[in-house]
Amino acid sequence: MNLSLLLKKLIKTSAGRSRFILAILGLSVALFLILAAVQIQANYDDLLHNKTNQDSIANFLVINKVITSETIGQTALTENQISDVKKQPFVQALGVLTSSRFKVSAQGASNQLPFYTDLFFESVPDDFLDVNNKDWAWNDQSTFIPLIIPNSFLDMYNFGFASSQGLPKLSQDLVRNIPLQINIQSANGPVKYYAKVVGFSDRIASILVPQSFMDWANSKFGTEPPASPSRIVIRTKDPGNPELLNYLKEHGLTTDADKTRFSKYRQIVNIVVNISWITGAVMLLFALLIFTLFIQLTIASCKDEIALLITLGAAPKQLKTFLIKQFFPPNIIIVFVTLAIIALLQFWVKHWLSGEHIYVSGFISITTIISAALIMLVLWIVNFVTIKKYINKH
Amino acid sequence: MRGISKQPSIIDRSAFSHILLSSAILFNKMIQLKNLVPVPLKEKFQVRKSSIWNTEVTFNKGEWIKIKAPSGTGKTTLIHSLYKLRTDYEGSVSYNDKNILEVQDDALASLRQQNISIIFQDLRLFANLTARENIELNRVLQAPYYESAMIEQMADTLQITHILNQRTGLCSYGEQQRIAIVRALMQPFEWLFMDEPFSHLDMDNSERAARLIAQECRKRNAGFILTDLDEDTHFSYTRNLTL
Repeated sequence: MNLSLLLKKLIKTSAGRSRFILAILGLSVALFLILAAVQIQANYDDLLHNKTNQDSIANFLVINKVITSETIGQTALTENQISDVKKQPFVQALGVLTSSRFKVSAQGASNQLPFYTDLFFESVPDDFLDVNNKDWAWNDQSTFIPLIIPNSFLDMYNFGFASSQGLPKLSQDLVRNIPLQINIQSANGPVKYYAKVVGFSDRIASILVPQSFMDWANSKFGTEPPASPSRIVIRTKDPGNPELLNYLKEHGLTTDADKTRFSKYRQIVNIVVNISWITGAVMLLFALLIFTLFIQLTIASCKDEIALLITLGAAPKQLKTFLIKQFFPPNIIIVFVTLAIIALLQFWVKHWLSGEHIYVSGFISITTIISAALIMLVLWIVNFVTIKKYINKH
Repeated sequence: MRGISKQPSIIDRSAFSHILLSSAILFNKMIQLKNLVPVPLKEKFQVRKSSIWNTEVTFNKGEWIKIKAPSGTGKTTLIHSLYKLRTDYEGSVSYNDKNILEVQDDALASLRQQNISIIFQDLRLFANLTARENIELNRVLQAPYYESAMIEQMADTLQITHILNQRTGLCSYGEQQRIAIVRALMQPFEWLFMDEPFSHLDMDNSERAARLIAQECRKRNAGFILTDLDEDTHFSYTRNLTL
């Protein structure tokens, strides 16, 4: 017969069975809440930074003043305002949209495509563009001006205008091959240029030309003095950041609301996560307390046996090892069962969300596993310290 | 048969003890008492002379020592002090020059597992365990000195085989005493402390137990300290002391 079997007969852990079950239950729920909170947070972070979910608009926001009847005519952003935006912690980079200060129109360059429209240009530094194209360059030797138009522009034409007017629909490739004639008004009459659409942007709703062309054309044809910019574009890590939203609101600024749609979700996620982990932490605390009391009770109820064991030569170390083996394994089981439940839920959530075109991992995050390991460590320390304390008393 | 086997063993033992005595001095494996006197008995032994209390005594390794004393002179107190069950004394107890008060926790456990075994006067068995379990516990507390079959063998020698699977709480004192003896002999030791080990046994049983104890001590080159109320001829003691 081995020692631990004999010790098991002497040190009965059945003294507070009901308390023990209570502690186990409490601990399970606590662990579930804490780990679920961690997993929800991990899923949310995953959604924010995962490539599959991150469309090109997500991290770039075009910001301008809210236009109300009071602010009409005063939409320009001052230098102070811009530098203040730049200072905000959620702003990673800031670019100014430069607008053209000359009159410009476009028309079909050939007779096959007869159209005419007045136009405007804007430009941003290349870093803020989502179009990577070798044609996106201009110098005074260039034979054409490259343009980037919003994707929504083409969508508007194809699904709204073309259908209602009985016009043919245009693909991106087709639009890229349409030669355009640009007329810029100068003091000496219109000047002709050729232009080509080289890309489509989801990010900035404007007709963009290269910064180099804009600078050159503004100085050459500009009829108005340089004005303060009225739109800026920022790069941010998390467009759902409620701080960002609050900042914009406070300063009378606005951006595409759709891009900040994550903000509302995020607030909900934050509340759920916070309630979950705080409740879990409080429960964990109580569960640990009950566990400690249970260990104390068990040792106290066997104090004669323990004293005699020590008298006969049992080492305190032997008894501590035995007691840890008695008390700790249920904790390991709880942690693993809880992890398994969360893993199952995560798998189910993945399937449920993929129906909504939201893609999260089917597996629990490494953070959740690390958290579980950390909690296990805390449990072990509490067990060990309690056992050590009460064994040394005898 | 018994007489024949007994005779050579005694010769054996004295020859052995001579060698052991010298090796004990060589390795200094001994118990030293320096002016040891229990606090409750202090006044008594300031006036009365004793060969143990309030003097210097050395028990050399392998010595078989009998301490005879009337009730109330501190037999159990002495055994408990040597075993570090109580420390309410003046003076010191040292093992191989190390004060036992400095031996603590796991080191003390190791001393009790490897070097010292004990038979308590009040037996100190776990009443809820069977006789076998009580014995087994002391066998497996350290790396076992004997195979578990040895339990049957010794139980057979002391005629307690029939109660091995009985809870010791239900055993008579005589049976419990024999269980305690077997338990003490299950572990390795250099010293065996026995506090009136035959107090509940008749002559025959005492003889059998003494023979077993002598045999086990010889096997280990171990010494013992035995306390009792009366004279006896159970062992051939190397020293007879009084409290």
